[in-house]
Amino acid sequence: MTINRKIIPQTESIKNLKFERFRSEQTIGGAPIFFHSGGTEPVIKLDLVFKAGYIEQNKTGISSFTASMLSEGTHNKSGKEILNALDFYGSYFQVKSGEDDTLATLYCLEKHLSNCLPLFIEAITESNFPEKALNTLKRNAIQKLKVNQKKNSYICRREFAKYTFGEDHPYGKSNSAENIESILRDELVEFHKNYILNNLKYAILSGNFSHETLSQISSQLNFKESEKSVESKRETTPIIQPGKYFIEKNDSVQAAIRIGKHGLNRNHRDFAAFQLLNLIFGGYFGSRLMKNIREEKGLTYGIYSSHEINKLGSTWYIETEINSKSKNIGIEEIYKEMSILRETKISNEEINIARNYLLGSILKSLDNTLSLSNRMKLNLDYNLEDNYLSNFIEKINNIDSDILLLTAQKYFTEEGLVEMVVGKN
Amino acid sequence: MNNGLTVIHHQDDNTQLCVLNLLYKVGSKDENPNKTGFAHLFEHLMFGGSINIPEFDTPLQFAGGENNAFTSNDITNYYLSVPASNIETGYWLESDRMLSLDFSQKSLDVQKGVVIEEFKERYLNQPYGDLWLHILPLAYHKHPYNWPTIGKEISHIENANLEDVKDFFKNFYAPNNAVLVVAGNISLDKTKELCDKWFGEIPAQNIQKPVYEIEPKQEEPRRKTIESDVPANLILKAYHMGGRLDKNYYAMDLLSDIIGSGKASTLYDVLVKEKSLFSEIDAYISGDAEPGLFMIEGKLLPQVSLEDAENAIREVISDLMKSGISEIELKKVQNKTETNIRFGDVNILNRAMKLAYAEYLGDIELVNKEIDLYLEIDIEYMKEEISKTLQESNCSTIIYKASNNDNK
Repeated sequence: MTINRKIIPQTESIKNLKFERFRSEQTIGGAPIFFHSGGTEPVIKLDLVFKAGYIEQNKTGISSFTASMLSEGTHNKSGKEILNALDFYGSYFQVKSGEDDTLATLYCLEKHLSNCLPLFIEAITESNFPEKALNTLKRNAIQKLKVNQKKNSYICRREFAKYTFGEDHPYGKSNSAENIESILRDELVEFHKNYILNNLKYAILSGNFSHETLSQISSQLNFKESEKSVESKRETTPIIQPGKYFIEKNDSVQAAIRIGKHGLNRNHRDFAAFQLLNLIFGGYFGSRLMKNIREEKGLTYGIYSSHEINKLGSTWYIETEINSKSKNIGIEEIYKEMSILRETKISNEEINIARNYLLGSILKSLDNTLSLSNRMKLNLDYNLEDNYLSNFIEKINNIDSDILLLTAQKYFTEEGLVEMVVGKN
Repeated sequence: MNNGLTVIHHQDDNTQLCVLNLLYKVGSKDENPNKTGFAHLFEHLMFGGSINIPEFDTPLQFAGGENNAFTSNDITNYYLSVPASNIETGYWLESDRMLSLDFSQKSLDVQKGVVIEEFKERYLNQPYGDLWLHILPLAYHKHPYNWPTIGKEISHIENANLEDVKDFFKNFYAPNNAVLVVAGNISLDKTKELCDKWFGEIPAQNIQKPVYEIEPKQEEPRRKTIESDVPANLILKAYHMGGRLDKNYYAMDLLSDIIGSGKASTLYDVLVKEKSLFSEIDAYISGDAEPGLFMIEGKLLPQVSLEDAENAIREVISDLMKSGISEIELKKVQNKTETNIRFGDVNILNRAMKLAYAEYLGDIELVNKEIDLYLEIDIEYMKEEISKTLQESNCSTIIYKASNNDNK
């Protein structure tokens, strides 16, 4: 039997998703632990989220150096001893500081948890910040910064952030070798005391585990809970300086480009429409920017528009690296694609493709217990209602070309854009 | 199947997804040495429309799916995942581009442009980006691993014409040169039914794999020095090691973790922390199917001489040869490997890829044996293999000299 290959097979659209609920209980220190067990592999991921992000620091680097130093040793054990002991059980932990929080994650097999958990907790609570390790870290951070400062894409990202949030804003501050040099042990000790020891927001446990394992964890997490009402005290008003900026790097074959402005928060009424419109514009491989500038013109390896959402403000931006000769054509095309969205309705077909893609990728993000925990973190960080995701999906399913046209006219405008180009003139 | 396509079914009802992983047994090692970069360029062309379907991505996105692909020295691997109820769209797309591509000059020209930009972005436009372009020809004199998957030089990609592309397709993109894994929320019956319907009528081809020489044993040290505008001096040492089915592979993979991965590793401990010679140093393996490379790569701190730095690496190695690895160190890295494999196996797509690759290597049981293969390595074997592998006569060294700054 010969089949007709011209016809696309029947598909079903996604109307609702199975988002398995996390349950919660209180840890001994007071902060909540959220948990979900599933899958077949006997693995465990434990996330501790501290209110200790860049927005809490006095000086660039304090939060991330504090995070890095947590694996450098405690009053009783050297960093190497702790890492070796955890390593021995095939476990490891990561501490990552970001814009809004510091996240410490322990990965291990359930059979090794009772050996690993106390070490993980000791590393975080009893760090002694050895001076020698700090100097090594500082020196290496400076080297790394030097390498980064040779990359157009790095310069472009930092400069863009500076003009989008202002040099004094925690999201806009840039780093320098002098600043890294000036970081003192005492500053880290102080930050650790104030923002890690007494500032656990919550914990998330995912993987495949028994009730005993959960109890064991709850009874050992003795961190003081962060006070929800206390808001960050740092300067938080972003200062955006729209305009076209160019930084000359004459030895480069490609120009790094970033164009954008502030975006929306997750609870904004236009958020769902904004997300879908951004997807169509440059948010996935089938987007207009990708089709035009990569697939049709071959000017770049990739071009994306992203909506980066943080607590104190979101950024919406287009980023790409384009061969130097064609950078102006590329930039023109970006503005042209933006204006088409404001002027011409998007076809239903194009909307449906983006819509289904978006819903499919959400489904994928709910696929296993480890990825569910990332979704759960979003819910907690942005105070989203339990039914946020189902409401979001419903909204996405109801968006039409009129809504998208209005959304484009309202937000995808050239007014107030920061355009940053780093490359050859 | 009758046309030679190998199909592997892996059912998991816990997921709401279904994935297809289609592995073609062609990589950059199968290229003509004067037309390199082809396997990878071809991976790009596979998204430019097939005989009945003008565009690959759009209908898949319409079905709520995502896809990607990668090319290595050995294989070209395509994968997609969709909500389980829409898996037939995946079959339709993958089978059509196996049947035939819609070869057009325009699509070729555009993808050539894209690949050339990728070449520049990854290999030329960043400090040390061309490291692989230097190390591979130094380490391999005969075997086609001596060029990277992106190709030897941009001109090879520029010169690719439609005729070459058609030949390449006909020779390698056929059911009897591929492995299909169907994994996720799908029954065996459904898998069979859809495989027959969509792949059943695609004819087998006469596959002609190029014959190439195996790499002769390296007998003496090789070196190359490059001066370039990079922020710091760099040393890269590459040693020949065993292939994916060789026991040596598992020992060397473990060794790379012990000495060169993370802050608790030997190289970091001695050369970064204790002696302050390097700002960063790593060890890793190339991970090829056939005999590949074990690499040590480090960036020097300013004011450290290249000679002192390289001697210090050699010293670490000669200590390893003398004393080997302790029981505890080995147990530790084995536990770690088990953890990594188990965490990886949580993901359905990852399992599908591993099944396809194991089948390609000729031993599908590898997916179940893998953990044991790592656990079976003991300290005696480790010591023997270190002494055999990390010989200076088995090593190619690249020295990257920062040309215009204070890093003398």
